[in-house]
Amino acid sequence: MAELAAVVGIGQTKYQTKHKTVSIAGLVRDAALKALQDAELTWDDIDAVIVGKAPDMFEGMIMPELYLTDALGCNGKPMLRVHTAGSVGGSTAIVAASYVQSGMFKRILTVTYEKQSESNAMWALSNAQPFSVHLNAGAGGFFAPIIREYMRRTKAPSDAGIKVAVKDRLHGARNPLAHLQLPNITMKEVEESPMLWEPLRFLESCPSSDGACAMVIANEELAAQSPKKPAWIRGAAMRSEPTMYAGREEVSPQAGIDCAKDVYAQAGISNPRKDLDCAEVYVPFSWYEPMWLENLGFAEKGEGWKLTLEGATSLDDKGDIPWNCSGGVLCSNPIGASGMIRFAEAARQVRGDAGNHQVDGAKLALGHAYGGGAQFYAMWVVGSEKA
Amino acid sequence: MSAQAEVLQQAFTLGYTYTRTTGPVVGRFLTALRDRKIVGIKGSDGKVIVPPMEYDPVTAEELSEFVDLPDTGVVKTWAWVKHPRGKHLLDKPFAWAQIQIDGSDIPMIHMVDAGDESKMSTGMKVKVRWADETKGFITDIACFEPA
Repeated sequence: MAELAAVVGIGQTKYQTKHKTVSIAGLVRDAALKALQDAELTWDDIDAVIVGKAPDMFEGMIMPELYLTDALGCNGKPMLRVHTAGSVGGSTAIVAASYVQSGMFKRILTVTYEKQSESNAMWALSNAQPFSVHLNAGAGGFFAPIIREYMRRTKAPSDAGIKVAVKDRLHGARNPLAHLQLPNITMKEVEESPMLWEPLRFLESCPSSDGACAMVIANEELAAQSPKKPAWIRGAAMRSEPTMYAGREEVSPQAGIDCAKDVYAQAGISNPRKDLDCAEVYVPFSWYEPMWLENLGFAEKGEGWKLTLEGATSLDDKGDIPWNCSGGVLCSNPIGASGMIRFAEAARQVRGDAGNHQVDGAKLALGHAYGGGAQFYAMWVVGSEKA
Repeated sequence: MSAQAEVLQQAFTLGYTYTRTTGPVVGRFLTALRDRKIVGIKGSDGKVIVPPMEYDPVTAEELSEFVDLPDTGVVKTWAWVKHPRGKHLLDKPFAWAQIQIDGSDIPMIHMVDAGDESKMSTGMKVKVRWADETKGFITDIACFEPA
């Protein structure tokens, strides 16, 4: 990459079940304005806007980029939209960063959102197609068999998933923006919550949230002038694979492994557990933490659940590699924004600006998103220093 | 050589239900229609826009200065529909028109029921014909008619 790029502003709405008083434009605008304020900039300082959201069918809004032009100050500026299902928040950030790294634009506003209260994501993500049996599974039904296969292969005890559900909610209780606020949640409470898709219980699943997340990404020269500490983008990568190929390895997809290798190589990371200070990883269902611990190289194959149960990923257990200090997707899930929230929360950590869920002295953090049928991957590593 | 396989086709229909929240600006416009009133909003350049926009089309700033307007206006341009189709909201010939509400600066598109094309002209004065029952929809303005 030709130019260095850094995150110089971050804005997030509060995540909640329903934002009743604002239009979709108003919701997206709120995050965008907060990112500008964080960067101490105005609309005039932005060269281009790059927006991402989950598939059109989720909210029934075709061409949101068209509808959002005035709300995002795009008058007279380039406006682009990125699509990659649930990973879109991550890939949107990477597309924005790459335009800065290429020298095409100097400073970009990038925004993602979802207003799940106005949408129909649950069913729209497994729509009927001609000549096929209708799966009609929703996300949980799609991922549960893959999780069962992980449990069969690794002989992981069932409380590993419960532990993640508790741990991420305790993290979320430190983050005032998190949707679910469950500071008193217990293993027992999770275990006794209704079984939705064996082995996933209600409290092992993400909520449906309204919310938006925005970042301002600037080149090296402008980032150096920013009033708050920049988060330098040290590596970024995306990978895809064909969802419908039945011969695909779904428990630890090759695209995820390759994407992680690529981003670590760019950032000079040889041992992710040791070299990174924390990670924000897309875990919409509890068991995806141990699965991604292995897929992303934090644990040996078959050992991910052990890190979880040992508390290695927990702030409260003073683990060496805290995952999802913000509470993660298990606390807030405005789908289109969820990937970008991971990327932005990684940046908050290395800016030393993560409030009560800050990892002390965090210098290097991973942001991760996945989407489709665990088919699209987007990751970046951000650092407090340029190199 | 095997016979070429038949390429099958099948139509399919897909539909879901959604919700929309209007927000504070469009919501206020629609609520006013329900009360048989028209409100516009003032932009950064002083122009009054109706229906109101949430964000300034020039500066992108949030707009909040509402302006009460009368239910009369002027036709800026128009196109006559000789043969209305089933989906049209009027079942007799009418005009699609850009109508500048008195006191506003940016015209809005609506329908004019003038009876006959010869009654239509650019610059003609029109007034709102309100729907019998108003609900907070743009169709609370049933159409405009010559004033």
